[in-house]
Amino acid sequence: MASNPFPQSKEQLLQAYRTMRTIREFEERLHIDFGRGDIPGFVHLYAGEEAAGTGIMLHLGPGDRIASTHRGHGHCISKGVDVVAMMKEIYGKKGGACEGKGGSMHIADLDKGMMGANGILGAGAPLVCGAALAAKFRGKGEVAISFVGDGASNQGTFLESLNLAAVWNLPAIFVVENNGYAESTSRDYGVAVDSYVDRAAGFGLPGVTVDGTDFFAVHEAAGEIIARARKGGGPALLECKMVRFHGHFEGDAQTYRAPGENEHNRANNDCLKKFSAAVTSAGVISAAELQAIDHDVLGLIESAVVAAKAAPLPTQADLLTDVYVKY
Amino acid sequence: MTARARLSEPTIGIIANPVSARDIRRVVANAGNLQITDRVNIVLRVLSSAAACGVKRALLMPDRGGIRALLERHFKRTHESVSWPEIEFLDMEPTSTVDDTFQATRLLLHAGVAAIVVLGGDGTHRAVVRELVQARARIPIAGLSTGTNNAFPEMREPTITGMAVGLFASGRVAAADALTPNKLIDVHIADAVRGDRRDVAIVDAVITHDRSIGARALWKTNSLDAAYLAFADAQSIGLSAIGGLLHPVGRREPGGLAVQIAHDGRHALLALDAPIAPGLVRSVPIASWQRMVADEPMAIAATAGTVALDGERELAFEPGQTVQMTLRENAFFTVDVARCMTVAAEQGLLRSGARPIP
Repeated sequence: MASNPFPQSKEQLLQAYRTMRTIREFEERLHIDFGRGDIPGFVHLYAGEEAAGTGIMLHLGPGDRIASTHRGHGHCISKGVDVVAMMKEIYGKKGGACEGKGGSMHIADLDKGMMGANGILGAGAPLVCGAALAAKFRGKGEVAISFVGDGASNQGTFLESLNLAAVWNLPAIFVVENNGYAESTSRDYGVAVDSYVDRAAGFGLPGVTVDGTDFFAVHEAAGEIIARARKGGGPALLECKMVRFHGHFEGDAQTYRAPGENEHNRANNDCLKKFSAAVTSAGVISAAELQAIDHDVLGLIESAVVAAKAAPLPTQADLLTDVYVKY
Repeated sequence: MTARARLSEPTIGIIANPVSARDIRRVVANAGNLQITDRVNIVLRVLSSAAACGVKRALLMPDRGGIRALLERHFKRTHESVSWPEIEFLDMEPTSTVDDTFQATRLLLHAGVAAIVVLGGDGTHRAVVRELVQARARIPIAGLSTGTNNAFPEMREPTITGMAVGLFASGRVAAADALTPNKLIDVHIADAVRGDRRDVAIVDAVITHDRSIGARALWKTNSLDAAYLAFADAQSIGLSAIGGLLHPVGRREPGGLAVQIAHDGRHALLALDAPIAPGLVRSVPIASWQRMVADEPMAIAATAGTVALDGERELAFEPGQTVQMTLRENAFFTVDVARCMTVAAEQGLLRSGARPIP
């Protein structure tokens, strides 16, 4: 095996691959199960976008908080939320991350620093300002990260949060996951000034754009931004240009896409393929090692689905539990 | 349908990169960020001044970064008394990668434009030049600085660049006066198994120990191994400043400069404080330096790493692959804006009226 040319250790690279593969298989399985009618509610899949969440979250610990979006499964998995508990939650079953009462768009695990997926676009950004303010007062060098899509970046809450974070010099990081579409509206149509870096600059924040399908680009840029925030350097924005392999929601006919767009993205912009090619051609990780992870992950996802299907539904008695926090 | 220049209608191309100046150097070094709206304003100033000096048509690279969208909005609502050239966007599907610049350059070559105005930093200009060199084209470029490291494009008011390009494109200033040749570094990576790779750097080709392209930008001195410089200005920003502060080499003088950095057991002859990126003056341990002679390949010592071209890590190489750097002179042409404007003044090209010229 060759010496490792990457700035990440082999263990980190294996962890990154396992995380990305887990997200991919989790989402592809949901795509099938939702299509069969096994899952209640809506799901929005993160497949294709794995390198962004994974590259960023590898820098975080449990004390660092994140606020996710409606497309939150990838953020949950990369932040360490239990996959079986997630699957139960999405199936609406007891034992889920929120006892089956939240579903896909409300998965949270505060012990892991995952403040929640969120069905309200742009709603995570002000929450992150609060978490970052708390982190600043605690003084332990923790950070808080808000994820938004390119569509939600037009929300007033997001723009107000950029201002607040800059004024209070918060350890807050705003990640714009730009997959080109706000639901079905092309970013080219719906965003007046397409550069999110320009938006950040308008509020006095530095901004960086990276190829969000390149784990190594995301990891390096996020590392610098997070390290800066931990040292009191203040907020920043990171735009990850990426592709989503599925529709906005499951069942979306995707008539807004160009012919062949999905096929092109899967062939040429697959972050997992890029990662696998990089680490195997450098001789750091063998194809057999990756295949072993693939095998593990498929087993994990299958066991999660079996557990979710077997778990009981919440009962009427559960309706009024977990509504308010007890102090 | 692919656009073609019409001989009776002086035509120029414009490649404006919407994503230059967006990398991690905003965070690590407070590098500048020229906003999209300002880039659009620059394109508009070039278009109006080029039209005033005889350009009738302009072919523009389309993009998904906002430049095209804002330009189209501008032209829909404008009631200005400015005369614009006929404007056409190239028939290509933007990918929002450097491939857009490559493809746009090829289309502009095919269209037969008189000159290409480039908005970007050293990296964007390199991408245009790479295509021109591969096609052995003699079409000149006129650079406008909108990037992070701007050693190659000069800082100049775009109106003047637009005028100079217009004077050349319309034939009012002859090529002999308007154009100037430039040097570049020819990078050749030989690989008997997977095939050779070639690329170019128009300012600096730098060898680093990094073997990952990562976030591309280069700002850490401890990974530097060697720098091969087409020119090295003492006032430059970026990695060519290392050479510029050791042994300046002008853009127009023969030869280049190779600098070996003192790492991996190399003895440091001296430490040099150099502005390796905007806002980053760093001490660089220097082992040696020597002039590069045109067309004489220099083999690099490192056995594995990355070649950074004009400030960005681009090409990873591994043991078994050999890397050679060769300085090439008269490799491509630029519009000499200062010379064009001087000729225009000397020959009264911008005067009008019936009275004799005093």
